Amino acid sequence: MNLIAQTRQDALSLFQKVGLPNKRDEDWKYTDASHLEDLLEIGGSNSAINAQSLGMVGLDAYRMVFTNGLFDESQSSLPEGVSIVSLAALEASVSNESSEALAKLFQVSRDEPLFSGLTALNAAVASDGAAVCLADSSVLDKPLYILHISNQNNAVRHGLMLGENAQAHVIEHFISTGEDKALSNCATVVILKSGASLEHSRLQQEGEKQSHIARVEVKQCRDSSYTFHGVELGASLSRTDLVVSLSEQGASCELNGLFVLDGRQHVDHHTRVDHQAPHCTSRESYRTVLDGRSHAVFNGKVVVHEGAIKTDSSQSNGNLLLSKYAEIDTKPELEIYNDDVKCAHGATVGQLDDKQLFYLRSRGISQEAAQELLTFAFADEVLAAMSNHAVRLYVEKAAFAKLPHGADLDGFMG
Amino acid sequence: MLVIKDLHVSVDGKKILKGLSLTINAGEVHAIMGPNGAGKSTLSNVIAGRDGYEVTSGSISYKDEDLLEMNPEERAWNGVFLAFQYPVEIPGVNNTYLLKAGVNAKRKHQGLDELDAFDFMSVVKEKAQLVELDASFLSRSVNEGFSGGEKKRNEIFQMAVLEPDLALLDETDSGLDIDALRIVAGGVNKLRSADRAIVMITHYQRLLDYIEPDFVHVLADGKIQKTGDKSLALKLEEQGYDWVQENL
Repeated sequence: MNLIAQTRQDALSLFQKVGLPNKRDEDWKYTDASHLEDLLEIGGSNSAINAQSLGMVGLDAYRMVFTNGLFDESQSSLPEGVSIVSLAALEASVSNESSEALAKLFQVSRDEPLFSGLTALNAAVASDGAAVCLADSSVLDKPLYILHISNQNNAVRHGLMLGENAQAHVIEHFISTGEDKALSNCATVVILKSGASLEHSRLQQEGEKQSHIARVEVKQCRDSSYTFHGVELGASLSRTDLVVSLSEQGASCELNGLFVLDGRQHVDHHTRVDHQAPHCTSRESYRTVLDGRSHAVFNGKVVVHEGAIKTDSSQSNGNLLLSKYAEIDTKPELEIYNDDVKCAHGATVGQLDDKQLFYLRSRGISQEAAQELLTFAFADEVLAAMSNHAVRLYVEKAAFAKLPHGADLDGFMG
Repeated sequence: MLVIKDLHVSVDGKKILKGLSLTINAGEVHAIMGPNGAGKSTLSNVIAGRDGYEVTSGSISYKDEDLLEMNPEERAWNGVFLAFQYPVEIPGVNNTYLLKAGVNAKRKHQGLDELDAFDFMSVVKEKAQLVELDASFLSRSVNEGFSGGEKKRNEIFQMAVLEPDLALLDETDSGLDIDALRIVAGGVNKLRSADRAIVMITHYQRLLDYIEPDFVHVLADGKIQKTGDKSLALKLEEQGYDWVQENL
């Protein structure tokens, strides 16, 4: 057995040992994963799904399409001369000597923050993924758009490795076309070398019976920068674990999240930022708009390790409840083992502001339109950090389509 | 245009206005002055339709209709405008969008076609000059990060764009330095017209040096206690509100 196969076998053994997370785990207190039991076997068939009219049509980007977790080359378009390939193809072709590096991509350990059985399961069973390896100082001239379409259980594992001073923008988009219950179990492993810079957007828009599990692991070297935009609109259950290690001096990350939920949707993001070196910066801003009987969970933990002097960390979480049955559990956590740091966090839960509503109405905007406008404005603020205008516009339209509205809101953004 | 008769208003069960009567005609500029707590802001909020003000008796008719039956947006469509004492910041909502939505909602109510974006922008740019507001303000979020003076200028700019028939200026002069006051007052003066009534609510006489009123009313203890011309304001400035209280 080669090293990669061995590593994945170990992951499977680990999953078999620990099983699915349950509510006795502190990190899974609010999210019930027990019903995923029946959805763990990933679908084997690569039933072709035509992606032509799906996702961000016409986006000026390189494109990778995964159908049911398998790379579909015929629907993809990749740049020449840059190393962006299918992980499965890479795994099949890699020589024994160089398999060590690739095997690392599948290594999991119980000691990692926010580890769960699902983390191990993904490493064990992921059928494919994007292997992106940018050379030092290379700049991907267009965003890489990774579209995932599924109609059955699937698991992908992406590796994004950016060399020194390399730059890229990667957009992951998840949609499903099936009617039945299914699970997408996804992981993205990011390694940023010194001075590298990655903008990473994740838009989850799967069907209403779908469950979506994701883990994003980011390791940052000196002066690297990572910007995350996590947008949750779809699925009945969605859980993301986002783990960022600022492991060398001067690294910075910005984590933005937006959930727009209704019905009985349940979305849970656990984020963990480890400040392990001096002079690192983390900025985190999550917003939720909750209607119906939806339930959101946000847990943001920042750990400032010994020696991480001049840490600058801030975190905010704003929640707008549109219905009296909607629910939010929010918990910012700070652990500081060091003096000489600047850390701030805060969370708000509320309804629309009466003063703002009256102001808009006094200018002739109807009550209904004023409510919509304020709701959209609240949600949109967190999208302002998206650098790609076309992507932001797509996300805005998709997010706003989920809210009850009738007014013409073209061009309202501040 | 506006006829207020024997108006009684309570806030949280506390009586604030106690039988206020006032008549305002088109083309007139009125100043309502009074000590703190007299009910000045209550009056402007009741006219604009803010929640939380209970009208226990009396009436307000506006253009021969019952104003109190209209919700705030209907009042705006019918030409009522309040320049806020404390303009609200609305992050994420573009200033121009707010005005365009407001103008078009009013036009729709009047049975007119919506203004197209090009026509609207030329109107807006012209009006922005009235209060020397930089064009960059148009693309910013409503009042967000504006200084006190900028907020007040923005209120008068909105008034210029929305072209109300009845404009209430609630303490528009407060918090302004002398230069900003001159700019704001200059804007208001250019908006005076034969079809428009303007009501200035203020604690100080200072504003009236720049915007000359046709009538000055003294509001104290929930009622109009005295009505006169500009000289009444000067007398107040000289003798203070105690003079009114003593003569009650």
